[in-house]
Formats: sequence, C-alpha cells, structure tokens
Amino acid sequence: MTTLASPSRGTSLWQRWRFHLSALVMIVPIAFTPAFFHENAFFDGRKGLGEREIGEIAVGPWSVRLAEFKVVEPDAEGRAGYAKEFALALCPACVDQVKAAYLRVGKPRNIRTMGALFSGTPYRQTAEMRIPDRTTADDVLWLTLEGWDGALHQATIPIRTASPVTAAWLARRRS
Amino acid sequence: MSGTISRKSSSARLWFVVHGWLALPIWAFLFFVCLTGSIATVSQEIMWLASPAVRAHAPAADARLLGYDEILAAVEREVPGARVRFIARPVKSIFALTVSVTRPDGSTETLYVNPYTGRVQGEQGEFDFRDFVRALHGWLLVPFNNGFSLGWYAVSALAIPLLGSLITGIVVYKRFWRVYLRPRLRVSKGRRVFWGDLHRLAGAWSIPFIAIMAVTAGWFLVRAILDDNHISISTAGVPPVVARGDVPVVAMGAPAPRITLGQAAEAVRRQLPDLDPSFVQFPSSAYDHISVGGRGAYPLLFETVDVNPYNGKVERTRRISDRSALELVTGSMRPLHTGDFAGLWLKLVYLAFGLTLTTLVFSGMMVWTKRTAIETVKLVRERAPARLGLEAAE
Repeated sequence: MTTLASPSRGTSLWQRWRFHLSALVMIVPIAFTPAFFHENAFFDGRKGLGEREIGEIAVGPWSVRLAEFKVVEPDAEGRAGYAKEFALALCPACVDQVKAAYLRVGKPRNIRTMGALFSGTPYRQTAEMRIPDRTTADDVLWLTLEGWDGALHQATIPIRTASPVTAAWLARRRS
Repeated sequence: MSGTISRKSSSARLWFVVHGWLALPIWAFLFFVCLTGSIATVSQEIMWLASPAVRAHAPAADARLLGYDEILAAVEREVPGARVRFIARPVKSIFALTVSVTRPDGSTETLYVNPYTGRVQGEQGEFDFRDFVRALHGWLLVPFNNGFSLGWYAVSALAIPLLGSLITGIVVYKRFWRVYLRPRLRVSKGRRVFWGDLHRLAGAWSIPFIAIMAVTAGWFLVRAILDDNHISISTAGVPPVVARGDVPVVAMGAPAPRITLGQAAEAVRRQLPDLDPSFVQFPSSAYDHISVGGRGAYPLLFETVDVNPYNGKVERTRRISDRSALELVTGSMRPLHTGDFAGLWLKLVYLAFGLTLTTLVFSGMMVWTKRTAIETVKLVRERAPARLGLEAAE
C-alpha cells in the first residue's frame, strides 16, 4: 500500500493547501478595483480633460483648453515611430465655429501637413501626435485651428510646457 | 489502491497523471475565470432584470420604433448641448437603445433611451455591471498601459492547460461517448465515485464547448502577442477621410449643411439591402464619415458602411466578402467565445455549458484530492525506483 512517512504538521498543511494557492490570484482584481474605476472615470472625462492640464491657449479669435492625455513618455507605435497623445476642448463660444484642430511638432509647411487631426467631440477631443526622430526638447508644437469659414489660426506651445515628461524623454534620448 | 486503475498500462497511467496535473496547480484561477465568464455571457440580461432603465417598454402594443433622427432630437431635448457619439440598438428588442453622448463639461455618458418614446430612462453611471464582469473575467481588472494588460495574458494563457486537459481527458477516457447513451452519476457510492462520475459526465458532454473556449481563448493570447509586436493581419487599410473639397465652407457662425441620419440610413439601405443596422457612429471630426454597421447574412461579424456626411455618398463598405479568410476565422473568435450573436437562447446555452465547465474544474480538483496524488506516487515509484529511493516507504 502507498503510505508516505508521517509528515510534520507544517508539511502536512503545505501538502494539503499547496494546490489551492492559485486562489491567491483573486488578490489581483481586488487590488486593481480602485484603479479600474479611476480609469473608467478618466476615460469618460469625469476626471478632467486629461491627466495634466496645460492651460487655456488663445488661437486667433478662439481659445482652447489643452491637456496631456496621460502623463507618460511617448508610446512606441512600431514602424510609425513614437507618438504622444493630447486632449483638447474648444471654448464654449467657438464650438460651432471651429471645423478642425491639428497638432504637430514644428511649423507646418502647408495646409496638407498640419499634423495630427483631433477627433472626438468639440467638448473633448484627442490626437496622437507623431514625434519625428529629429525632435529635440527645445522644439515647439504648432496648434492649428481651421474654421468652418476656411480661416486658419495658429498658436505655438514649447514641448517643455506641453509635456515636461516628453521633454525629459527627448533630452535623455539625445544625450 | 487496487482494481482497474492499477491494472492499467503504464502509458495510460502517465496520461492520467498528466491530465491530473495540467490544471491542478491553477485550478482555483481556472475556476474563477470559468465562473466569471459564465456570468459575463448573461451580464446584459442580469442588468435587464436588475434595472428598469435598460428595458425597452413599448407604451402601446402597436407602438412604432423611432427613427435615428427622432432619437437624436429626443436626446437633444433631454440633454441640451450634448454631442452624440453613437447610437446602438442591442440585438434584442427588449433592451433600450444605448446612446453615447459627451456633455459640454467634457464628460461622456451612456444613456439608456426608450426606442419608442425617446425618453432618457437612465444613465450607465460609474458602475456598469456588464463592463465590470467582462473586465474581471478577461483581464482581472489589470489596466492596459502601453499594450495588452498582463491580466489579459494570464487569463488567455489558460487556453493552453484547457486544451491540454481536453486532449488528455479524451485519451484517458477513451469510451467517453458511452456517457451520451447511458449517463451515470452514482451518488450513494461515496464521494470519490460521485466526483469522478460528475467529472466524466460534465467533461464528455462539454467536449465541443471546451474546444471552442480553448481555441478562441488561444486566439486572444495570439492576438495580444501580435498586437504588442505591432503585427497586423487586417486588410481594412487606412480608414478613409472625407475629401477636403467635400467639406463645405460656410460663413462664420453658420451651421455646416449635413445630411440627416435618415438620409444616411437610406444610402446604406441602397448599398447593402440585407444589412440590419445595429449602430450608427457619428463623425468624430469634420473629415470623418457617418458609420453604420450591423449583422448581415453571416451573423458573427459586423458589416459597416461609411457615408459622407455632406453629400450622402457611400465612400466605403466593409462586407463579409471584403475580408480575407484569415480575418473571417479570427474575426469569428470573439463572438464564438461570448455567444452573443444569435439571441437569448444561445446565451443560455453558453451559460449552461459555462457552468458545466466550472463544475468540471471543481470536480477535477476533488477527484485529484481523492486519487491523483496516489497515482502520481505510484507512477514515479515504478519509473524511477532507484533514483528516488522511494522503496523505503513501502
């Protein structure tokens, strides 16, 4: 018959419970529950425009609120290189006047290269702005607003102001 | 131990032990995932039972469903200034429409709208039972930061022991089809016999279901790996953009002329007559399309039509026939996993088999505590008596 040597009390507990240890996985969802609800509220805009508001920016006759969507370094997007996400809200008076908003690193050469197009609603829209390889921490972002009447208005924001995390990341990459 | 087991060949016993060990060390995790998955299949129905706001009560027997423009007008009346992002009509008519809106303060909310009266019956709020159960089941609530969540990997990797258990289970239990003809569940012969019978019974009956779950969950794992390595199998191409010339230029402050949703629906009907539209997505920018989607002849996948919001032209259709064979197969994985494509009856079938699978995991653990440990000692002893020096214990 199969009998194992009579184990000590500690070994016996271990023998009996070791295969139930995977129940400890349940700690993971319990630990992440607050973060889950925080994330949901964040994505639904109940925690503000983005994680870090950059402030009100005047663009021609209009103004927008701009925010860093998440305070994180740019995301690697495979062959597309790196990208950084920003959120924008149009001023209440210009909700019906602004047709589109664009953001890019450096001055746009023409109407076709104004950068990442913001998408969403006038009250909260986001854009994933591409970060070209040659970008430095001292570069400037160009925000272009296009009116339904065809008018273009622009404003600039230094990367250091728009996203200190990105500026630090760029400085580190250059060194 | 004596009887049939000890007379089995060594190879059969090896399979038996492998089968026993595949899920055993993680049984509680697997149990949790199977149980939450079972609940997730009917989470929408649970919400329907729990909250009157998500139900679609017709005010009269002959009440007419509102058109999309009427819904839009009703939402504007009830939530002034809000911008609609999409309107979704759940598969079954017992559910209220879900309308996603962003308010002027920038917050996005999902509204439950009565499809007959347009009344906003309620809001999804901070806690959505369906989303919560899905997240609990699918990724243990672990956040997605920069790629797929580690929870997603942990859960979808269970496909491997699940598939292994299925294969070894069939090998061990060769004449499993007997259970279909003469099901046997002995309740008076002791706990080991009961749990063993239950395990075999539940296992044999749910072979196709387990195969579906293991394969589709395996795809979720593969998908995460592909995605995190920026590998795409999509033939969809770059989403189309409305041509600059099509977007009208108007005087400052004047509203831009756009087609109505009724006109968009008509354009879609002309293009794909047998499409049953289940959602309308609004343009997310001035250069975006109105996107209408629904199930067509092949119910597992959605077909979509993109309509130019200024001139009503259909500028892209994505039908079943536009997809590659690989996309048809991989695209079918999620609906096959959730069973949400045919109505309530299929969800109940999925729930029943999901709970059977949950029982299977539990009974497997019970069988193990009664038997597999002893089998393992025996097998190890026979195969490597000298090396392990287990004779001493005999």
